[in-house]
Order: sequence, then structure tokens, then C-alpha cells
Amino acid sequence: MSSVSSPTWLYGAIQRRRNRGLGGLYLVVAAFLVLYVVLFPGILSVGGFSKFTQNWFPLALVTMAQALLMLNGGITLAIGPLVSLGAVIAATTMESVFGVPGGIVAVAFTGLAIGAVIGAIVAHLRLPAIIVTLAGSFIITGVALILLPRPGGFIPDWLSNTLAGHTPVAFLLLVVVLLLWKAFLATPLGLGIYAAGDNPVGAFRSGVRVERAKIAAFALSGLLTALAGLFVAAQTGSGDPVIGAPFTLNSIAAAVLGGVGFLGGKGTMRGAICGSLLLSVMINVMFFLGFPPVAQYLAQGLIIVGAVAVPELLKSWRARR
Amino acid sequence: MKTFENNPSASLRSRLLAGAAVAATLLVFSAGTASAAANCIKGDRKAPYTVGWANIYSVPTWMKQTEGTIAAEVEELKKAGLVKDLMITDAQGNAQTQIQHIQSMIDANVDAIVVIAGSSNALDRVISDACDKGIAVVNFDSLVNTDKVTAKINTDSAEWGAGAAKWLSDQLGGKGKIIVMNGPAGISVSDDRRKGAQPVLDANPGLEIITETNTEYNAAPAQEAMTSLLFANPEIDGVLSLGGAISAGSVMAFDRQGREQVPVTGENARQFLELWKEKGLKGWATMQPNWLGALSVYTAVQALEGKDVPAFIKVPLPVIDDSTIDSYLARAENFPADGYIYSDYDKALFDKLLAQ
Repeated sequence: MSSVSSPTWLYGAIQRRRNRGLGGLYLVVAAFLVLYVVLFPGILSVGGFSKFTQNWFPLALVTMAQALLMLNGGITLAIGPLVSLGAVIAATTMESVFGVPGGIVAVAFTGLAIGAVIGAIVAHLRLPAIIVTLAGSFIITGVALILLPRPGGFIPDWLSNTLAGHTPVAFLLLVVVLLLWKAFLATPLGLGIYAAGDNPVGAFRSGVRVERAKIAAFALSGLLTALAGLFVAAQTGSGDPVIGAPFTLNSIAAAVLGGVGFLGGKGTMRGAICGSLLLSVMINVMFFLGFPPVAQYLAQGLIIVGAVAVPELLKSWRARR
Repeated sequence: MKTFENNPSASLRSRLLAGAAVAATLLVFSAGTASAAANCIKGDRKAPYTVGWANIYSVPTWMKQTEGTIAAEVEELKKAGLVKDLMITDAQGNAQTQIQHIQSMIDANVDAIVVIAGSSNALDRVISDACDKGIAVVNFDSLVNTDKVTAKINTDSAEWGAGAAKWLSDQLGGKGKIIVMNGPAGISVSDDRRKGAQPVLDANPGLEIITETNTEYNAAPAQEAMTSLLFANPEIDGVLSLGGAISAGSVMAFDRQGREQVPVTGENARQFLELWKEKGLKGWATMQPNWLGALSVYTAVQALEGKDVPAFIKVPLPVIDDSTIDSYLARAENFPADGYIYSDYDKALFDKLLAQ
């Protein structure tokens, strides 16, 4: 209370410390982006930028969904199936009487509800998130396959063209989601999610309702994941009951690349977003470099290990100095 | 290869290539009638062409063999001066990544895209974008929904299912207890083959389906599935297996349990054909020929050269039975141990299929 500027100063110092570990990742991502622009200058056009960000957008969303839980000390293996279910619900409801608004509400509600139920089971029955979400992933996959046994369904063209046409709407949506996340972090609930992940007992003693924070984290994560599914449906113009499967591992990889720890409380959303951007831009850069598929597998692994190892090496180098 | 590109006269010495060049010359002349151009083709792209091969997943042996036929075809076309480069991508089973790869191919302005779709719907929008850019898009094996492609090439999955069910029904005299072994759930091909079998099964009410399995198209998971089914079912009269190396897994499960082999359908997996011969099975098999890949590249180049190609090229299913199995096993050494022994192909066959 002695100084008005103290909170600002403290905030700045904390942010600097949180960013420090990410310096290496930022460098790697920047290098890849520059390389991409050199290889394909068309990325700087509105159309090129739009298409690239559209392919990145769903991964960015599910990475946020995963990071949100990992920051809270959890994890989810149900990302992929929930993306599929979101896509399937979008593609099956939008042609019904409920129309596009009804479809969006249905997808959002499903994501929130499934997330909340998983969260409640994890929080109140004290079961490990990894087991509950693994079981959940089977159930969700089954439901998606029952709703739509094979790829199909329908998304209105105008919706596809709005979200995934030749305009950077997807990128703008991502910016909006990130701003909302920033605003959410300023609320007690938002801070509580972080605090409960970092030190559950301490958070509880400081008045954070740890269980509620956990359920909220799962519900929000489910919402983001299902909306990623909605976007995938719009991008592809249809639903596919198994299209989301690879997102589960990719979301974990992106979050870990971005410096989010498995033990909770450690890491930042911006790091996770950068991790997902690296995973996405890497694919395009390797294509333009003309890597054969076998080399792509290798390079992908090396880049991921490198991006995780470089910051650690920098840290130990700094510590020795 | 570069030398061949710049020196077409040298390459003309090869017998095959002469044929291709003559065909190409004829095509240039026939291209005068603009109405004959194939779908997506605008006529502004000139040889030699860059071909993009957007694979969904390169690891399975079937895919490796298919890629082999594509690479071989590209080598032929390079010698004829029609193709200069082949770009290969592997989406590692991720349809989203495949969209990204095809987008990159459009960005790199390739002339032709040959694709096996990772999802029957997911690629529709990016593929129609490619078509709008005048890129020759040829889609084979696992097909997309959109018709904005130059050509789709495939065998008929429903016919596959019906043929297999028909043979099994005939073997069992229309009655008995059978197990149906499908490919993975949610995959169009596996769904279509199963649907194709249904009318035949309905027409033979004496056939009782004990249970069905869904596994990857590999021997190991199929063997595992069949092993547990054998414990539960003392009486099994036939196995309707719909593709891949699933049948080999089933036969091995029967063998390991000491159960008497029953009539079984399958695909041209070398493992299955060898077991068929070794155990003296009552067997039937068909195949998804790997050379569909080579045919797709050939078709794309023909279309770019101005030839009108059919929008859908239906490739008849080659059938393997007791009368033909020896001709396949005689060539077994040329194929990987866990690979597929595909039927022979040549330019003449391709031209015949394109003339449908």
C-alpha cells in the first residue's frame, strides 16, 4: 500500500520472469516464420495469410484447451474425440430447424456440459484426470459414431466461406479468444485456476474454491475444444466422426513445447499458443523445403526436442555464468 | 534425370516412351477442340509438369507399394519429358494436416495433385480451390465427396462386399454361422464394403452372423480379435473378411487354436495368399490394386495434355481364386513379405481404362 506503482512494477517483473524461459521458443518460431515468408512470399497476401491461419486455428484452440487444464494440474485425453463430436453436432444440427444459431448453441453447450461432467468426476470423486478423460474419450468417440456413422452432414456454404474463406476471420477470432482469456485471468475464478494448479492447499487456504476452479477449467476446456470442432466442420464443409483424433497428442505436444508443465501452475498461454504455431508452420516450411516424408518425421522430432531443449540449455548456461 | 528432361530425343529410344510421346503428340493435336478438356483443366499449363502426391499416411505397406508405382510412373513420364518433379507429402493420418499440405501444393503452384483422401468430406473445399486454379486433381482409393476434381479412380467397394459374400454363401450352401471382419469403424471404405455385402446376406437368411469385428487392416489385431471369438464360439462355418491382411490374422488364429480352417474371403495380402496355399484353404480374394497410384499420375498428365478423361474411372476388381492364385504366388518374391501381390499393369491397360 506504500507505493501506488508497486503492483505495476511487480506485474512487470513477474511477466519478465515468465517470458524468460520462452525466449528460445520465440526465436525458433520467428525463425520459422521468416523462413516461410522467404520460401513462400504469398503468405503475406490476405488470401495466403487467411489460409495459413485457418489451418493453424483449430490447433491453437485445442492447445489452449489443453494448456488451461495443464495449468490447473490436470490433463485431458478427450480433446480429439470432443473435436470430432463438436464437428458432428455442428454438421447434423445446422440443417435442422434450429439452423446455424441452434447448431452453435448445441456445440457450445455440449462442450461445456461434457467438460463440466468430467471436471465434476475428477474434482469430487478424486480420480486422476488422465483416467477419467481416457474413459471419456471412448464414450465421446462412440457417441460421435452413433450420431454420424460415416463422414457427412451439412454446413451452409456461407458459414464455411465466412469462417474459412479468403478473409482472416479465423485469425481475428483467435485474437478475440486470447483477449477474453486475458480478461478471464483478471477474475478471481481465472486466477483461481492457476493458483489451484500451482499449490492446491495454499490456494484453498487463501479462499479459492479449488473444486469449483477445477470444474470450471474442465468446462471451459470442453467449450474451446467443441468450438474447435465447429470450426473444423465449417472449414471442411461437413462432419467427420473421427477427424479430431490426432488433436489429442498434438495439443499436448504444443502445450509442452510452449513451456506448460505437467504438474500444474507452470507455464503461460502465450507460450502454448507459440508452441501450436510452431507445430503448424513447421509442416508448411518442410513442404516448401521439399523434405521427403521420412525426413519430415525425423525433422519434426528434432525440432520439437530442440525447441524444448534450447531454453533449458540457455537456462543452465545462464546459471553457470 | 535432369539430362533426360533436356534431351527428349535420347529418351525416345526407349520403346515405352516412344509410345507415350506419340500419344502426347496426338494429344496436342486433339487439344484443338476446347470442349474436350477434362474437368479443372484450363489449358494454360505446359509440360513438363510438377506433380504433387498428397498421401494421407505413408507408413502402411500398401501405401509404400502404391507410392512405389507412382514413383515408377513419374520416372517413365520424366523420360518422356512430361513431368519434371514429384512432391510427396505424408499427413501422418491427420486429415487436417492433409488440408494444409494440399493448400501448400496450391501455394507452390503444382500442375497436378494426386490424392488419397484422409476423410471423404474434409478435403472437399481445399480440393475445389485447387480445381479452380486449373490444377489437375486426380483422387483415388479413398474418395472425396466433391465433383470438382479432374477424375476419381477406384474399384467398387460395394461390389467387393457383394462378391465376397456371394462366394462365401455359395461355399456354405447358403447356411451356416459366420463371422464378419471389417476394417476400422467410421472409414468409408470399410463401411461401403460391409454395406455391399448386406443384400447378399439378406438374400441368404440361412447365413447367421455370430458377430462382427472392426480392426485395423493388419494381421495382428485381427488375429487377436479372432482368437477371443474362437474361445467364445465352438461353431464357426465361415469368415467374411473384408480387406487388408485381416484374413491372414484370422487364419493364423484358427491355426494357433488347432481349429479346423473354414472358408475365408480376403485381399491379395502376400501373407494370406501364402497361408491359403500352405493350409489348402477354401479361399477367395480380390484387391485394391496398388497401381491405381500409377494410373492416377498417368491420368492427370493425360488431362493436362488436353485429353478428355472420364470423371469417374471404375477399375474392375481383379479376383483371385484357386484357378489364378498360382500366377500370383509365382511373383511373390517381387513383393514385400507383408505386402500385397497386385495384378500386372501396363500402358495398354491404362489407356483401355481411360477410354471407358
